[in-house]
Amino acid sequence: MSAVAVKKEVSTTKWTTAFEATTANRLGAANPSVKEVQEKAIQDFASRGIPDKKVEDYKYTNIRLYLNDEFLLKGEVPMLKKSNISRLLIGDYITLVIINGRFVKELSLLEKLPKEITLRNLFTAIKESKVAGISEGKGNPMATLNTALAQDGLFIHVPEGFHCTVPIHLLNVSTGLNKVLYNPRNVIQVEEGANLTLIESFHSFGLEEKVFTNLFTEVEVGKEATLNNYIIQEEETLAGRSNIHQVSVGTAGKFNSVVVSLDGAMVRNDLNVSINGENAEIHMHGLFVVKDGQHIDNHSLVEHNVPNCFSNELYKGVIADGGTGVFNGKIFVKQDAQKTNAYQSNKNILLGDNASMNTKPQLEIYADDVKCSHGTTTGRLDETALFYLRTRGLNETLARKVLLGAFAKEVSDTVKDEAFRLYLEERIHDHIA
Amino acid sequence: MLEIKNLEVSVEGKEILKGLNLTVNKGEVHAIMGPNGAGKSTLASVIAGKEEYEVTGGSILFNGKDISELSPDERAKEGVFLAFQYPIEIPGVTTINFLKTAVSEIRAYRGLEPMEAKDFLAMLKEKQKLVQIDTNLTGRSVNEGFSGGEKKRNEIFQMAMLEPKLAVLDETDSGLDIDALRIVAEGVNKLRTKENAFLVITHYQRLLDYIVPDFVHVLYDGRIVKSGKKELALELEEKGYDWIKKEFPEMIA
Repeated sequence: MSAVAVKKEVSTTKWTTAFEATTANRLGAANPSVKEVQEKAIQDFASRGIPDKKVEDYKYTNIRLYLNDEFLLKGEVPMLKKSNISRLLIGDYITLVIINGRFVKELSLLEKLPKEITLRNLFTAIKESKVAGISEGKGNPMATLNTALAQDGLFIHVPEGFHCTVPIHLLNVSTGLNKVLYNPRNVIQVEEGANLTLIESFHSFGLEEKVFTNLFTEVEVGKEATLNNYIIQEEETLAGRSNIHQVSVGTAGKFNSVVVSLDGAMVRNDLNVSINGENAEIHMHGLFVVKDGQHIDNHSLVEHNVPNCFSNELYKGVIADGGTGVFNGKIFVKQDAQKTNAYQSNKNILLGDNASMNTKPQLEIYADDVKCSHGTTTGRLDETALFYLRTRGLNETLARKVLLGAFAKEVSDTVKDEAFRLYLEERIHDHIA
Repeated sequence: MLEIKNLEVSVEGKEILKGLNLTVNKGEVHAIMGPNGAGKSTLASVIAGKEEYEVTGGSILFNGKDISELSPDERAKEGVFLAFQYPIEIPGVTTINFLKTAVSEIRAYRGLEPMEAKDFLAMLKEKQKLVQIDTNLTGRSVNEGFSGGEKKRNEIFQMAMLEPKLAVLDETDSGLDIDALRIVAEGVNKLRTKENAFLVITHYQRLLDYIVPDFVHVLYDGRIVKSGKKELALELEEKGYDWIKKEFPEMIA
């Protein structure tokens, strides 16, 4: 037992040391109240550490095991040029290039950025009091870690009534020569009656060692505002990622989320949506394609705090032999949230005997006048449908691709922006087999 | 065109076809009739190449080539088509897109140039008209939410598009009312040429009023026990399958 205690003490020291070493660079240096939040967070985190499978929410995703090695908080990073980025551009978007969580203005395409939209480094935004504070992250240990160690990130603000007609694309690249753990924090605010399509793509480039990015994005969708948030993840095997989106939606606000994960050794997505105004409408769609040796986990939480709101969630998984998929979706309906409509579905296809899927749909309802449903199916590709396609001259590989493509299409079809939808379809087509 | 010799087929260890012989020449329509459980659908599936069916003896020659080891798609490319008894619904794949893929795969196998988009569309239009299928059906996901008649019509439409040498119709009449049956049969009749052949599998004589066969075979207990001209179908209709069962009592065991 004493060995365990010693180990724990060592890991605690590791985090507090890292915390102290970065004092001047962390968000806390921009504002005393943020400093307090970070100090509280490091104490909280140091007592718990990186979650292992004993933590219920990480039961099937042992991040501690993955992060067992010594990770630095800063590493040597190769200089990327515009030519390294150009193949990752999608459509004619406002493109913000982010390398290891840090916004790189020189590589970004900002000509189309409307003057109404405020774009800052988060550190600057806090310093200029454009952002009041940062969220603690509701007890999620990875969110707490981010809260403690966050140094910077992006702040995007769309003012009241402004419709941004060109999507904003956050083009994220993980790169580097050392084992590094990054904790970027983004804050996105879409004010009353405003409208934004935010695309986040995740790529990697020239990784020499494992890089883990623990990204925490705070999102506010105001009264009668709309945010379309489309995410594609395609990082190579040395890149690990925890993506936490904490979303708050106001009265009659609309939040449409599509999360497509096509690659990555260890991917954990947390999408937590808190509905705080009546008549809000939430759509959440996800697709994860897991290959041999990969692990992709999607956790979601929808909190219906007020009456008369709608939420619909559909996540679909395709898991190859040797891959592991996880889905955990929770719908929480508070006692006051009468007339809630909340639906959730998770459908998975296993492509081999050694493909693994852990799924846990949860409904927790305290109101009595609601319509809620959830369901999950996990099975194999339909053999009769395969045979049918093959009798029409499609070989086995092609027939499988057609069926899997159709399975995935239900998710990609929900993307409203045409350029991104076409891009997504092409990327999905390349990844499924 | 099709020469089946002494074919023995098992499914999950159970012998279904027990030495079946059948020869179909080009330009001919053959009907296979028989009671439930005789092996009719097995015969259809095994010609199309369903992998669960194990050929334990005999051979299937198609234009002189043994196809029993070919995959279902290779057989389709050689010119075999199976119209399913229960056509499959495939959400998310439109009939047009799927046929575009199928046509280009089949053409590539036969060493033909890919079809120009406008030629494909012209062909699509022509065949839709030929088999009287609504364009809004072919633009939708394959068979999704189709009625029984629409599904069968879609099978015939696919057959028209793929222009097979041999079409096997597996109980195409099942679940159809008389009007739907007539439309489907008319489609088939329009596709009959001197160069292709049809194998019409059915339980009832009714379909054969519309698709008139050159030959009728009675399949019973995994073998063809009687062959004749179209009159045999009428005789069967009149006397019922008990007539066959009485004539071949040794097979019941």
